[in-house]
Amino acid sequence: MVNTNLRVVKLTVYCLSIYLIISIADLLFTFPGKVFAKVNLISNLVKEPANQLVIAKTEVVVPIEIVPIQKKKFNLYLQKGKITSFNSDTNITSIKSFIEKIAALKSGKKKRKIRIAYLGDSLIEGDLLTQTFRRLLQSEFGGAGVGFVPITSQVALFRQSVAATYSSHWQDNSFKTKGNQSALYLSGHQFFGPNEWVKMIDHVIKDTSALIEKTLLCGQSSNPLTLAINKTPTIIHADKRFNRIVLRKDKSKEIEVQFGNQNVPIYGISFESEAGIFVDNFSFRGISGIEYKHIDPNFLQLIQQENPYDLIVLQFGINVMYKPETTNFSYYATSFEPVIKAFKKSFPEADILVMGCTDRAFRYNSVYSTAIGIDSLIKLQAALAYKTEANFYNQYASMGGKNALVKWVEQSPPLANKDYIHPNYRGAEELGKLLFNAVMKEYNKYTTTSL
Amino acid sequence: MPSFDSTAFFQQFLYDPKHPLLFNDGFFVFFFGAFIALYYQFRHNIPIRKFIFCFFSLYFFYKASGYFVIVVFIAAVVDFILSNAIYRQTTQHGKRILLLLSIFFNLGILIYFKYTNFFISVTNDFLKTGFNPLNIMLPVGISFFTFENLSYTIDVYRGDFKPARKFSDYLLFLSFFPKLVMGPIVRAHDFVPQINQPYAIKEADFVEGFFLIISGMFKKLIISDYITLNLVNTVFDAPSRYSGMENLFAVYGYALVIYCDFSGYSDVAIGIAKWLGFSIPPNFLSPYQSQNIAEFWRRWHISLSSWLRDYIYIPLGGNRTSNKFCFALIIVFFIGLFFGIILLTSISLFFALLICLIALIILLLPTLITKDRNIIGTNFNLLATMLIGGFWHGASWNFVIWGAIHGIGLAGYKLWEIIALRFLPKFKSNRFNSVLGTILTFHFVCLGWIFFKAGDFTIASTMLHQITFDLHSALFIDFIKGYWSVVAMMVLGFFMHAIPNHWANAVCTLLQPLKLGWYILIFFLFLMVYGYFKSAEPVLPIYLQF
Repeated sequence: MVNTNLRVVKLTVYCLSIYLIISIADLLFTFPGKVFAKVNLISNLVKEPANQLVIAKTEVVVPIEIVPIQKKKFNLYLQKGKITSFNSDTNITSIKSFIEKIAALKSGKKKRKIRIAYLGDSLIEGDLLTQTFRRLLQSEFGGAGVGFVPITSQVALFRQSVAATYSSHWQDNSFKTKGNQSALYLSGHQFFGPNEWVKMIDHVIKDTSALIEKTLLCGQSSNPLTLAINKTPTIIHADKRFNRIVLRKDKSKEIEVQFGNQNVPIYGISFESEAGIFVDNFSFRGISGIEYKHIDPNFLQLIQQENPYDLIVLQFGINVMYKPETTNFSYYATSFEPVIKAFKKSFPEADILVMGCTDRAFRYNSVYSTAIGIDSLIKLQAALAYKTEANFYNQYASMGGKNALVKWVEQSPPLANKDYIHPNYRGAEELGKLLFNAVMKEYNKYTTTSL
Repeated sequence: MPSFDSTAFFQQFLYDPKHPLLFNDGFFVFFFGAFIALYYQFRHNIPIRKFIFCFFSLYFFYKASGYFVIVVFIAAVVDFILSNAIYRQTTQHGKRILLLLSIFFNLGILIYFKYTNFFISVTNDFLKTGFNPLNIMLPVGISFFTFENLSYTIDVYRGDFKPARKFSDYLLFLSFFPKLVMGPIVRAHDFVPQINQPYAIKEADFVEGFFLIISGMFKKLIISDYITLNLVNTVFDAPSRYSGMENLFAVYGYALVIYCDFSGYSDVAIGIAKWLGFSIPPNFLSPYQSQNIAEFWRRWHISLSSWLRDYIYIPLGGNRTSNKFCFALIIVFFIGLFFGIILLTSISLFFALLICLIALIILLLPTLITKDRNIIGTNFNLLATMLIGGFWHGASWNFVIWGAIHGIGLAGYKLWEIIALRFLPKFKSNRFNSVLGTILTFHFVCLGWIFFKAGDFTIASTMLHQITFDLHSALFIDFIKGYWSVVAMMVLGFFMHAIPNHWANAVCTLLQPLKLGWYILIFFLFLMVYGYFKSAEPVLPIYLQF
């Protein structure tokens, strides 16, 4: 038998020596294609000249002109934890008419409903962020109920704040399907379901004595609608282009509706107490917000007449930044601006709040780091808010700025998913609290100055 | 010009919790180089050679797990003393007491480090006690070396084996660095006799060792890590955000990941051992080629399944009867199954009862058909063994569920065998049936992997929901387009898995006459491929946590 033990030693020693020589050479010259950069044996034993590994700093470019406006200061968008209306006098309350309304509600002068439409992408899917924001607002200003719930949803099973079950043949017309999108609701959906049913149980109502309105939001039907509400046959009239019909007003937290054979667009069911503050979660996976241009502005006005909103929050941007190298978002500037303007026009009683997008990370040179385009994108979102006289909230700065999400993914317990995009429910809880605190800062500013 | 950082240099020699020493570390290259040079130098002086080996092994463990190296050392001392005491005891009674002492000691260490917080959380959940969880770190490899200690003293007690006379022999058996942190679990009667042999390696062993090391690294570092980072981790983190297609492929991906990760690491360990003149039996034999679940368990993590067979399944009664402990465990299992279903899912009492009944029927029906009462015992013992085996992987209900799935699956397969034999005389094993069996077995194993990998029950059930109700075949093409690089890696991985064993032998035969330069070339080619795919985030081996 040949004993090859020396061969093992030789192979090891030769490989180690060559490997060491290559590693030293790699540090000195860097091989083409950097084939040895990541497997260099001694790279962690040397101090690199500082600037070598830093990603080239990207210029923050905004494709729209920021025209100076009197008594306004654009750079306020950089503040963290604060909502800004860009007033250079920072003692002036932002989202002012909304704050006035909640202050009136709190003082008990006016018993009414205040509604927030929170529009967003997958960041708020499953009522994440909004459920926290709603809970905190309702505990401060009153109100019970989860607000709007769409008939069906991809995440119905995973949403904690409401349990929705539905029959299997609902047809969904949405931003992502072909067909007429002019009369979609703010959710970006409308459903058709002759003879279909839906059952919902609100999981957020803690006050068992509150009377809860269970309201159907639907489109037009020339014939009266024949429904069975909690198995009781009922006839309702939906003769307007957009209808808000209270189906039940009682202490129950659940409702089951069996529809008749009329082919009427159904949007969803809303759970609201008689007065208080309500947050409607309108999440639509994968959109950037420009999809709202398809909805007829006249239809939006009808929504505002029937089911008025007092604050419209626009939570978009993360899907615009889907490539690691993108730093120029000019197409987004031109297409998102009309959407903000349309909302302003159709919802004149509502304040508009543009949310700067949350942090998202990509792998650069195999290390996760904040998207290099994020500063440009946030500046652009702020510039749009500035130009359209909307309000702005810098979520990225508020959650910790550069590489905040990387920290959120890596900390224990983690606050974000490993896709380096989405905060998980703990992270969303944090974002909801931050936003609530920002609103409370404006509220406190308002109440102290108006006293 | 880069300059030498002396602080960083000295830091390299200390334990870094973020970077436990693994075979793919740069440090390991130096470690192995220094070790092999010394080992070769003193190959004829067995005591010094052993000392070098023990020292390097314990240092390796220190670099992988810090000061827990003391636990390994103490365990070695205690078990060495106890095993010799058992051997010298003349009365059966005395032997038994000493054995119990050893079992208490070893299981005590394992339970303290691994399960204390689990039991605290269980009492908090069920008895509403408000105990705070303790801050206990899990020493790397503890599950592996306590099992080795246990089998050692049990073998001595059974009289199968004379205990090692020299402490150094025992210490080396326990701390042998190639297998210390992640197995394979080796048996003393295989290993100890090799310690004092001359350092000799056959030509074939040199080639085979090289092949195992390079192919093992390839499986772990290139295939497994790539699929983990680019598909599996993100989907398993938040399955509701992904379509059924992505979820399904994440499960297939994970099946490949766990195989490549663990078998890759085992192969490297076995390969290194071969180069040091030690032979360790294979730990995996292309498990996904299995045509049924029983065969799967003869090919998957063989060192653990054979350990469980010899030291749990057989003591429980093996394929004859079940002892009282096993009966108690089965009763607890059914109670747990019933209440678990009710607590974790929203289905009614009736269905929970129905599921329990079906499980019970699977366990009992073979006996009703064959009138052979031993099969009940076999099934109960298998289920109990699988439950314990599941729990060995970690203090989590998901591992218990994983064990239960396999336990019931094994009983279900036994039932099928009996039915096929008695009532389906025309059923033959042909090519079609073998392929069908392989596909079915693979998917059954995948079902188990969902629970094995998922962070909690909700994630596992969400994945099952997405795969069942959100699987649109129209998305298949989009999926391939979106994840083409991952899919390509998976195809490569499954292709490598499908290769028959004799092909690997053929490769080794081809390599054997080559000059050393060719081996060096292959090593550096591998290194360049690794350098291309390597991610900056270290992907710790899955079995490092067990």
